[in-house]
Amino acid sequence: MTSLSPAAGTSPGNEDERRVIEAAKTDPRRFAELYEQNFDRVYAFVARRAGHRGEAEDVTAEVFHHALANLGRFEARGAPFAAWLLQIAKNVLTDRWRRGARERGDPAPEAGQPAVQAEAERRAMLAELVNRLPGDQQRVIRDRFVEQKTIREIARELARTEGAVKQLQFRALESLRAHMRDVHE
Amino acid sequence: MSEEAPIDRLAEALEAILADPGAPRPPADPEVVELLHIANDLRDLPRPAFKARLWADLLRSVTMTTATGQTMRETIEGVTPYLAVRPAAELVEFVKQAFGAEELLRTTGAGGGLHAEVRIGDSRVMIGGGGAWGGTPTPTGLHLYVPDADLVYGRALEAGGESLYAPVDQPYGDREAGVKDLAGNHWYIATHRLGGHVPAGLGTVTPFLHPHGAPALIAFLKEAFAAEEMETHRGPEGAIAHATIRVGRSVIELGEAHGEWGPMPTMFYVYVDDVDAWYRRALAAGALSVEVPALQPYGERRAAVRDAFDNHWYLAEPAASRGGTP
Repeated sequence: MTSLSPAAGTSPGNEDERRVIEAAKTDPRRFAELYEQNFDRVYAFVARRAGHRGEAEDVTAEVFHHALANLGRFEARGAPFAAWLLQIAKNVLTDRWRRGARERGDPAPEAGQPAVQAEAERRAMLAELVNRLPGDQQRVIRDRFVEQKTIREIARELARTEGAVKQLQFRALESLRAHMRDVHE
Repeated sequence: MSEEAPIDRLAEALEAILADPGAPRPPADPEVVELLHIANDLRDLPRPAFKARLWADLLRSVTMTTATGQTMRETIEGVTPYLAVRPAAELVEFVKQAFGAEELLRTTGAGGGLHAEVRIGDSRVMIGGGGAWGGTPTPTGLHLYVPDADLVYGRALEAGGESLYAPVDQPYGDREAGVKDLAGNHWYIATHRLGGHVPAGLGTVTPFLHPHGAPALIAFLKEAFAAEEMETHRGPEGAIAHATIRVGRSVIELGEAHGEWGPMPTMFYVYVDDVDAWYRRALAAGALSVEVPALQPYGERRAAVRDAFDNHWYLAEPAASRGGTP
């Protein structure tokens, strides 16, 4: 992915995306590009609403399986592809709630609401920015926040001092903040 | 170093957030607060291994479908009713006593409940659940053909069943009685009067569904599972009174819900040669995903979908050693 904005591929007027979707309808292997462009935002949308990581992964998997199976029904002149995926995600989540798989207070928000999409975009962008961090910062961010390891565990694995790991953590977050500000300004 | 203080303050605040994301946060300087917001969002980042694994699964699904799409029609082996109930062990005993079922398998399922398979005549039925199992029970209607409906009706009552209706000669030529077992399943116990005691094309046990909107369910079965409509009888007002639908080598009967015969959505185990292809096809036919295709610990590749009538369809590729079901 070269564009810093994951939203770049989602405009309904975007010819490239339209071409990829049409190609994927006849050759499902071309779905790879759509997956690559949309994975982060779908996961971000789902993770925010799922109870835990396992559920977020299950729902994300269902969304892409469903999208792949129903790609023939996607109408490129309608909503953008990303919005279609988020609508599927919303349906899967709502279905889970409805079936009482989990007790949860808030109903699933409308996937089509601009605020909801904007939030998914922002988080997808954050995921992309993490991919661009220097290797050691990226490692600390993933270990610390995704794997939820302690500073001590990470320090041991990286053969660094705890102070050094805290510093990497700080620099990584500072860098992410600076880039997020750039993007929003 | 001037950065030491914010670095430590941040590390401390992060410690608190990661330990308990819902806990009230102590006041911190605005610089740190902004970083904490980002940190909070980072907790929802995907694991790189998950992204790669999901793509591998999708790719497998794509490759298999492309390779086998042409021959799918012949490859549903059969449909087995799966009765998931709380009194699972008791139901196994009931079908043994009442219907002379043979117990083929009894094990612990993936969800910690009982999983059993029995053979009744020429048909296989799966029974699962138990007291510790937390799922939604799926008792349903089952058509059972026996040489002597009166005799089996009596045995079913002795075994603890409750009469739905006593043996009666039906206008369509069957001697038939109805019994509700202790788990809530309806057994329509019948003896066919023409030819053998089982009508041509049916087996000993055939699931019998009473959906609201039988034509839509038939359409789904055709689209999702390449089902064939063998016979359909309509009532005076045009509603489907009785339809016989072939799915693979198995048959499902159904009739529009009416009176006390309402929907009893259930579970089916469908053996197919290509789980991914049939799973995609079912989703394209309007089913919702319940389980994406995945290799089960007992060796089967399996997926599950739910139709609009709340029936669950487990699609499974038999493992090399058949019989390793959950």
